[in-house]
Amino acid sequence: MRLTRRDRLFLFTPLAVLLSGWLGLPAVLGLVATFTTYSPFATTVRFSGFDNYVRVFRDGQFGAAITNITIFTLVAVPLELGLGFALAYLLRRPIRGRGLWRVLLLLPWLVSPIGNGVMWHFLLVGATSIVDFGSGWLGLSNIASPIGDIRLALPTVIAIEVWREAPFVTFLLLPGLAAIPNDLWEHSILDGASWVRQVIDVALPSLRPLLLAVTMLLVGLSLGTFDSVLILTGGGPGTATMTPALYSYNQAFAINNWPIGAASAWLIAGSVLGVGLVYVRLARRAAI
Amino acid sequence: MTTFHGRRRRHATVRVLLLVAAIAVFLMPLAWTVLASFGLLPDNSARPPSWAGSITLDHFREIGIAEPTFWQELATSTVASACAAVLTIACSFPAAYGLARSRFRGERLLTQGFLVLASLPAMAYVIPLSDLMRRAHLVDTFAGMVLTEAAVTAPLAVYVLHGALRQLSPEWEEAAFLDGAGLVRLLWQVVLPLTVPSVVATAIVMFVLDWNLLLVPLVLTSGEIKTVPVAMMDFFTFERELDWPTAAAALLVSLVPLAILAGVFHRVLERFSLDSRRTS
Repeated sequence: MRLTRRDRLFLFTPLAVLLSGWLGLPAVLGLVATFTTYSPFATTVRFSGFDNYVRVFRDGQFGAAITNITIFTLVAVPLELGLGFALAYLLRRPIRGRGLWRVLLLLPWLVSPIGNGVMWHFLLVGATSIVDFGSGWLGLSNIASPIGDIRLALPTVIAIEVWREAPFVTFLLLPGLAAIPNDLWEHSILDGASWVRQVIDVALPSLRPLLLAVTMLLVGLSLGTFDSVLILTGGGPGTATMTPALYSYNQAFAINNWPIGAASAWLIAGSVLGVGLVYVRLARRAAI
Repeated sequence: MTTFHGRRRRHATVRVLLLVAAIAVFLMPLAWTVLASFGLLPDNSARPPSWAGSITLDHFREIGIAEPTFWQELATSTVASACAAVLTIACSFPAAYGLARSRFRGERLLTQGFLVLASLPAMAYVIPLSDLMRRAHLVDTFAGMVLTEAAVTAPLAVYVLHGALRQLSPEWEEAAFLDGAGLVRLLWQVVLPLTVPSVVATAIVMFVLDWNLLLVPLVLTSGEIKTVPVAMMDFFTFERELDWPTAAAALLVSLVPLAILAGVFHRVLERFSLDSRRTS
């Protein structure tokens, strides 16, 4: 059976309309607008070249955001992958109540990022926090909240993100891990391979395409970090946890500096698309 | 062989212990929240800290006082996420099928492109989108929000459904085609029933993603329509900062529907796979 032209039209049109109208068109028009002084309420619009981008890069806040998000991504993504894989590895073989384990483990991911921010704020700040509880048990006087500390704020935000995303990674990796034929493992075990060798020789090669796809999603998620810092830290203290997405949002919607917001948002898009190019190349090699 | 089995059993025990420890660590923050929502708060000024308060449901009632329209927002979130998930599937399923059954150069590239698109943060395009939606008079409308949410999650749905449909042997379709079935009947009566688990799993994940979206409703609505994540922000204004138990109760209420959904469908959810080569 072959699909005719009419068939293809029928199959692809709904998606094409949805994606071009709500994703493609705004993205392209938005890109064009970043080279002008356009803003929704501007009376005159003129071409301004790379002016907006130059101004974004000259802003120290954005520079801090780039540094933060680079550290964030480089630390959070490997931790999420590692921890997520470890948990999936533990859940790999059928054990009693595996379904329940899986659902319980998915709970952190089911909390919305914004709810997560509210929750962790109260867990880390204030009279009833886990921090005070723990330090009280250790006999210490109440210590300051880590999200108020300029050196600890970013590591804390990263840890919270890992707490939320690692279970999602487990959820994504488990079906792939469970689909690895049993005799591959048995062979490896009978050969006396340690679990480290089992992971390297059996699990990783089979999971390569899946791991690449998950990594791509995680990098995109991480580069767009917004909801989780919005309430938890608001980018602070100072600019310690400022992210590019939060910067764009603040510029466009909080202080009505539309062109700067749109231009910095396009830099996020550009970075994700750049990573996407690398991903596509690697994924093609993994498929062969 | 006994040593083999003995080693296995020992490993199984270690595995369960590690799992219990991991789950305890991962669920501790949530347990803290659940306790707070029922009025059980630690008294950190005592040495050693102790637990104070008695179990009460008052904080769940207080949700309606702190956020008078909370229950309505819960309904809005439910209906909007359900509509967006269905719309996403309705647009993605035919396209994923078309991709899976087409042989052209760059098919794989296009599929991987959908994953890249799925990784694109909403912030990348939501600023100009809010402007376009305002011009199209779709701001603060249910339709505008649902369509945008559907578009945000559609690329991931296409990628996952494409993987599932590629596993499907074309024989069934060939047979139906020879029987004279048209494309619509083929999709509806042959392909869809054979891929129900994957489609349901994808729809549930899309529902969860839509339910938890903040940026899209935040930017495209201004009060007329409000979803739960946007409402969660209201629990965190500075004058209300001390009202943690009520926020905890609201958080719990907004988590429970998702937890039930994941619990009921946990078997089906195993079919949500990003691996297009999988064989199961």
